[in-house]
Amino acid sequence: MKETTDLLKKLIATAGLPGYETPVREIIEKAWGPLVDELKINRLGNLYGYVPGTGKEPRSSILIAAHMDAIGFMVTSIKDSFLHITQIGGIDPRILPGQMVTIHGRKDFPGMIIQPPAHTLPEGMQNGVVPLSDLLVETGLTAAQTSRQVRIGDLISFASTPIEIKGDLLAGHSMDNRASVVALTEALKLLKKRHHEWDVWAVATSQEEVTLGGAAVSSFDLRPTLAVVVDVTYAKGPGATAHLSYAMDKGPALGWGPNIHPKLFQAFEDLAEKLEIPNQKELMSRMSGTDAITMQVAAEGVPTMVISIPLRYMHTPYEIVHLKDITRTGRLLAEFICELDDKFMDTLRWDESEKGVRNSK
Amino acid sequence: MKSLIQKLVEIPGPSGYESQVREAVKDEVEPYVDEMQVDPLGNLITRKGSGGDKGLKVMLSAHLDEIGVMVSHVDKNGFARFTQLGTVFPRNTAGGRVRFLNGAHGVIGMEVPPSRSAVTTLNKMYIDLGVTSKKDCPVKVGDVAAFERTFQDLGKRMVSKAMDDRIGVAVLIETLKALKSTPHQVFGVFSVQEEVGVRGATTAAFGVNPDLGLAIDTTGVGDTPKSPRSDLALGKGPAIKIKDFGMISDPRVVAWIEAGAKRAKIPYQLDILIGGSTDARAIQLSRAGVPSSGISIPSRYIHSPSEMVDFDDVKNTIKLLVHLLSRPIKLQ
Repeated sequence: MKETTDLLKKLIATAGLPGYETPVREIIEKAWGPLVDELKINRLGNLYGYVPGTGKEPRSSILIAAHMDAIGFMVTSIKDSFLHITQIGGIDPRILPGQMVTIHGRKDFPGMIIQPPAHTLPEGMQNGVVPLSDLLVETGLTAAQTSRQVRIGDLISFASTPIEIKGDLLAGHSMDNRASVVALTEALKLLKKRHHEWDVWAVATSQEEVTLGGAAVSSFDLRPTLAVVVDVTYAKGPGATAHLSYAMDKGPALGWGPNIHPKLFQAFEDLAEKLEIPNQKELMSRMSGTDAITMQVAAEGVPTMVISIPLRYMHTPYEIVHLKDITRTGRLLAEFICELDDKFMDTLRWDESEKGVRNSK
Repeated sequence: MKSLIQKLVEIPGPSGYESQVREAVKDEVEPYVDEMQVDPLGNLITRKGSGGDKGLKVMLSAHLDEIGVMVSHVDKNGFARFTQLGTVFPRNTAGGRVRFLNGAHGVIGMEVPPSRSAVTTLNKMYIDLGVTSKKDCPVKVGDVAAFERTFQDLGKRMVSKAMDDRIGVAVLIETLKALKSTPHQVFGVFSVQEEVGVRGATTAAFGVNPDLGLAIDTTGVGDTPKSPRSDLALGKGPAIKIKDFGMISDPRVVAWIEAGAKRAKIPYQLDILIGGSTDARAIQLSRAGVPSSGISIPSRYIHSPSEMVDFDDVKNTIKLLVHLLSRPIKLQ
């Protein structure tokens, strides 16, 4: 467990904004290197790790994906010692004033998001939430130093440091979706010791928070037989809508909806029950809000599954996950892959009825 | 060159109905390209240069279409209700004139709002074609019109409807003309349906399968009274796209463009567009992914019938493109 926690801590302490994933990708390369036969980087920055199966050729392949990019900010304008910023990915401006950030200028240095005094704000904005367009980042430098160190387009990421909370909880920024990267790593570790017929492509996707683009192009690039996306979902907590949130420490949430192949859902649920891995059913009545949206319709289309790790305080500087939910997700993934044989695809007809998902077993 | 710009902006070509513009562009570029074809969606795809060992397939995309309106209903008195093709701002619309592809003209009127300061919507507006009955109305449901506003040359600056993106089209035509030799296969794509979701560029990019993609389009500025906050201004050079609402540019492509501008001593600006996106988004996500960015011509009053650009910016964008495409490309 310590090894797992340490990797996650390292991942969430590292920047990797959409399109600029290199720092975090390098850590994942190190973690996956000993676990895969081959590592490749795609033109849009996806990291591919290949683990061949033992089945006879031509072998089917399963793509398991977690996005490695994280939300953050970009400098839009420089005013003396202060920076105007825009968001990359969705961020609630209510939680921003007072947050420490890292400014990725000519070199990395700390900064702080500040709320300007009320009388300096535009009319009608003195009370209530100040929108991101009117918040500033304090550089701590003189105007001249700032203009030397920072330029338009530079990135800014949260600087919150990882904190272990009692009860196997870990808090920090970018847990969305580094927790899932760790779950994939756990699966690869287990597969190392196990026999599996199918080829496995582990993919750390890029640019999920802005375009779901890394996923789209990875699915086209690798043409997997099946794809499983691991991401985070809303955990139960203050104000969470009861029927649209999922308990922490109750295992991975298995997606059900048009973005999910019904038979894949059933296969995962059955397997989880068989192995006594706690699990929950997550309703995704429209789109899943994950990489599976673009993966499902890439090229000729790919049967997709979504597994989510419950997380509290999504898209804030302190997102919280339960470490056991991560290892459970990794184990379920690995066990599923080991079950895949040359007959599996014969059972995969799109029939969402009770009979449909059950009859082929 | 200004006469080319005038010719291009004055042709009506709303999304999905770009034929007239495409024909005009064909005539202009034919002598300067090695190959030319129109794909099933209506994109005009040209190729210049054969590439070599070190050459890349570079796709440049400028969109032919402009925002416009489509008739959704004609009432018994001959007034035509309409819907938008692309994003049409109600505040820029009432009192304006439109020209239908069949030649009919009309003026946009509006139901009297409840108060002078009330913000109205397109469904409270109608097109008055100067007729008194449905029978006499020269347009029917489904007919398409573009905004009607003539080109004006203000000297340093030019203003017209459809500068978005005919100015990009003009820049691409002039680039293909001025590009004497290139180590690359340069695919000049004049795309359709950008304003309704970058659809033309989506299929064009799939067909071309480029190694590198650039959108040539317009971008918003922050140099007018109480404008949105942006450091971009007219006259300060082409804008290199770092981010817009629909994509984040490949940082290697941004660095390549910037280094070229510095080397050729062409002024440039860095572009972060908060609203809107371009064909670069579609190219970037094509097939297994394409390193992409954009070079934009700064423009005021985008999606109004009077979009303004600076002539120096236009000339510098062409210079920059010719410079970049004349030499080998190495993405760092």
